[in-house]
Amino acid sequence: MTTTRASSETLYWIAITFVLFPILTAVGIFLRTVQAGGLPGLQSWFYPLMTLHGVGMVGVWYVAAMAAVSDRLSRYVSPSPLMGRIALAGTLLGVALLLVCVFAGRFAAGWYFLYPLPFKGEWPQWAAVTFLLAMTVLGATWLLWSLDLLRAIAARYSLSQALAWHYLAGRSEPELPPAVLITTVSLIAAVAALLSGVVLLVLFYVELLAGTASDPLLMKNLTFFFGHTLVNLTLYLGIALVYDLLPVYAGRPWKTNRIVATSWNCVLLIVLFAYFHHMYMDFVQPGALQAIGQIASYASAIPAAVVTIFGALLLTYRTRMRWNLGSTLIFLALAGWAIGGVGAVIDSTISANVRLHNTLWVPAHFHTYFLAGVVFMVIGYFYHRCQELTDLPENRSVQRLAVLLMVIGAYGFFAMFYLAGAYSVPRRYAIYPAELAFGAKYAGAAAAFAATFLLGFILYLAETGKRWLRVVRPGQ
Amino acid sequence: MSRTRRRAAGLVLAGAVVAGVAPRLAAAATTRPNAAQVARAESRLGGRTVPDIPVTLADGRRVQLADLWRDGPLLLTFYYRRCTGTCTPFLEWVRDAVQAAGGLGSDYHVLALTFDDSETTADLRAQAAALRLLATPDWDFAVAAQADVARVAAAVDFGYRLDPATLQYDHDSLLIGIDRGRVVRALFGTPEGNDRLRELVWELRGVFLPVYRVPGNTLLRCFRFDARSGRVRLDWGLFLLVLPGVGAICLALLMFAGAGPYRRVRLTGPGAAPTPGRQ
Repeated sequence: MTTTRASSETLYWIAITFVLFPILTAVGIFLRTVQAGGLPGLQSWFYPLMTLHGVGMVGVWYVAAMAAVSDRLSRYVSPSPLMGRIALAGTLLGVALLLVCVFAGRFAAGWYFLYPLPFKGEWPQWAAVTFLLAMTVLGATWLLWSLDLLRAIAARYSLSQALAWHYLAGRSEPELPPAVLITTVSLIAAVAALLSGVVLLVLFYVELLAGTASDPLLMKNLTFFFGHTLVNLTLYLGIALVYDLLPVYAGRPWKTNRIVATSWNCVLLIVLFAYFHHMYMDFVQPGALQAIGQIASYASAIPAAVVTIFGALLLTYRTRMRWNLGSTLIFLALAGWAIGGVGAVIDSTISANVRLHNTLWVPAHFHTYFLAGVVFMVIGYFYHRCQELTDLPENRSVQRLAVLLMVIGAYGFFAMFYLAGAYSVPRRYAIYPAELAFGAKYAGAAAAFAATFLLGFILYLAETGKRWLRVVRPGQ
Repeated sequence: MSRTRRRAAGLVLAGAVVAGVAPRLAAAATTRPNAAQVARAESRLGGRTVPDIPVTLADGRRVQLADLWRDGPLLLTFYYRRCTGTCTPFLEWVRDAVQAAGGLGSDYHVLALTFDDSETTADLRAQAAALRLLATPDWDFAVAAQADVARVAAAVDFGYRLDPATLQYDHDSLLIGIDRGRVVRALFGTPEGNDRLRELVWELRGVFLPVYRVPGNTLLRCFRFDARSGRVRLDWGLFLLVLPGVGAICLALLMFAGAGPYRRVRLTGPGAAPTPGRQ
């Protein structure tokens, strides 16, 4: 096994993730506690903190996944260290602006700031402007970062090679690591999503400066093109890590072949249309686009998921798998992807969405594939990386306990969302009215499960943190 | 340009942006709500039940409103004959717009209800004659008891108030599409052009319209409803939805094509080998 030196940016990204994630998780626990009827004096903070939790989690895991993939791909290609530093600085500036608008301005339009809400809330206008500036800084930084990683891939592979088209033509030379294929697919789609964010922000600024209103339907389409696609691609970046790491632990290669190439090229073709499923309740969206939304949701998720999960099972079947904190989390992440994916496919079915739209089923499915999918993939990689660099002895009992607490906490937390969603408890209610009082019980249980998860994460942090410290300060 | 000049230009630009934003923010809060209020007022009326009151028509018949909407949808508007303001121009606009939209008689008929209960059937006929509608069978003019008119007006948020000084009514202009006693769509004021009335007529015909009113000037829309043909057409806003996808593909093509001549490692063998020097 070859070990590459971790760049200082990667170590910074790991530290930033380890600081921000528990804080944002605590914010999430606060939200469910308020919904359970607790902390009555802090109820007015529900929506500003919901905004922070949403934008924060989406942002943290996009940059964490990008950092992890950049680090892993540096085995094959050469991302620019300067761009890595710019991404770090831009993200920190964006986060600072976000904190200002939430804590000083109480901006509370939610993580996808659906038009025209930023201009209509009770917060001061400067808070909305600061939020839009934060989105601009983050979007521009991530666009440049994505383009740089694409450039690095382009410096080594042609486009047809990077997209594995030679496998589709029946040739297996030159050999292409699946991680490069998946990252190329994800980055091209990420550039589209981020460009959509640019168009969206330009329209916001046009209204701000020239007073010319925008078409709400256009703005909602752009919002979900940007937001949904970016979240989707965060997951795919995590899967690129899985393809590259599982073989390390299984001791078997996991190579690109025609099936893998076909499924991921399908993703590139279709993932940009999947967001239409967010528009099912918008009667002004033509019916044809709604049908495309359902088909694209199925087609962008199922082939890649089936191929990857079956591939992973075949890879690990009857092999001397080396289980540790990293490999266990990465393997469990595939289960999170599958379970959350089924929840997502159900929700993207028009006849089911009529019942489930804007209920807690929606956060149920995206928390499943984000927390038990992306988060497990990325923190699994971070552990793997820190362990690879230090080779410290592993405390199996602590690692098993950390995984157990995180799994029980996470799935208990999801179950409360799914059950409440199935009983039509709406999302984004700070306080449940009398008719929905039973939603508070689910919220209380969810807060307890989330705290259990956080406890498990702290144990994970202790295990990974000491390895990170050893990398940063080798003498200690 | 020297560095000092560039700095000065930057400061001026930043100042202009700040100076431009502040008044816009204030203006945005004060100018837009009017149009928004109208759109909100119209959308609030959708689905409301209109009271079934007795009315007297210009030919002297006494009927219930339900008798008029039983045979098909009804386009209802309010006026009073002595009005020196908008009533006659508004009725003229309704007459012309209805004629342009088509379907009068076959798809709906029109009732102009006076809210001045002192008017007689002779006044109704005079108003119809003034509008050259006396011989039009699907246009009716009607008068009703003050309390009954007030019930209908209250049900559809139509405001009117007698000014004792001028003996003129201070009132809105309102056109309501009614199907089986329920409001299908309402238009406050005189809509610019005839398209909004055409949309109302399409709805009275039972056609679902996937459009909504956006207050103020809208930069770009995804789709446009062609009120003449009754079809939904793509609009320029849709270009903005296609742009990111096309832009991303173009950027990827450019990036990979541009890197081609400088590609350091030609992959003739296994490509999974790590980049030299980065092990």
